Amino acid sequence: MLPLLLLKTAQKHPVLVELKNGETYNGHMVQCDSWMNVHLREVICTSKDGDRFWRIPETYIRGNTIKYLRVPDEVIDKVKEENYKRDEKRPAMARGRGRGRGPAGRGDGPSGGGRGGAPGRGGRGRGRE
Amino acid sequence: MSRKENALDLAKFIDKGVRVKLSGGREVEGILKGYDQLLNLVLDETVEYLRDKEDMLRITNETRPLGLVVCRGTAVMMVSPTAGTEELAQNPFMQTDGA
Repeated sequence: MLPLLLLKTAQKHPVLVELKNGETYNGHMVQCDSWMNVHLREVICTSKDGDRFWRIPETYIRGNTIKYLRVPDEVIDKVKEENYKRDEKRPAMARGRGRGRGPAGRGDGPSGGGRGGAPGRGGRGRGRE
Repeated sequence: MSRKENALDLAKFIDKGVRVKLSGGREVEGILKGYDQLLNLVLDETVEYLRDKEDMLRITNETRPLGLVVCRGTAVMMVSPTAGTEELAQNPFMQTDGA
């Protein structure tokens, strides 16, 4: 399971974000991107010491300032579900997309060596660019 | 998965007051005049919220005027609208506990 995939699944769920400086933000994740930048709504910000609080209607947090995020447990079930669904759909379309690393690519064949990883992976890695 | 899509949607904050936290601990508030995809910001009528001398992590209500500034994107940690933001008198998480 990819961390960013879990995060993407956590959209619309309440999350807790702790920043490197110790502040925490509790709110509903509206969106996140591949840099882990997150957009939260109905946020409660807590100071590092936990003694001051702010209510903020929405906030945009830069990914590289995040220490960690807490996501609700149910998101993990959801991400498994979505993974499963995607894997079912996958073979037809997703493989063709990864430039040159489709079915005929390295490591995908029956005797493919150690490289190349799981068959499904090449396509997604490329798709991000 | 999410490609180049920015979670960023600052268009709606243009010409509105925004609060910006910068890495290193400074906090400024100003009117958002412009931005780019690197999160560089142009703020007008900016004020900096000064920090407590003893505890540099603690923001006070003292301000110092900065005027028109460009915030470098790499230093921006957090952006939120000024409108609707308020400091709470008591711990909002305690309330849910007590109820």
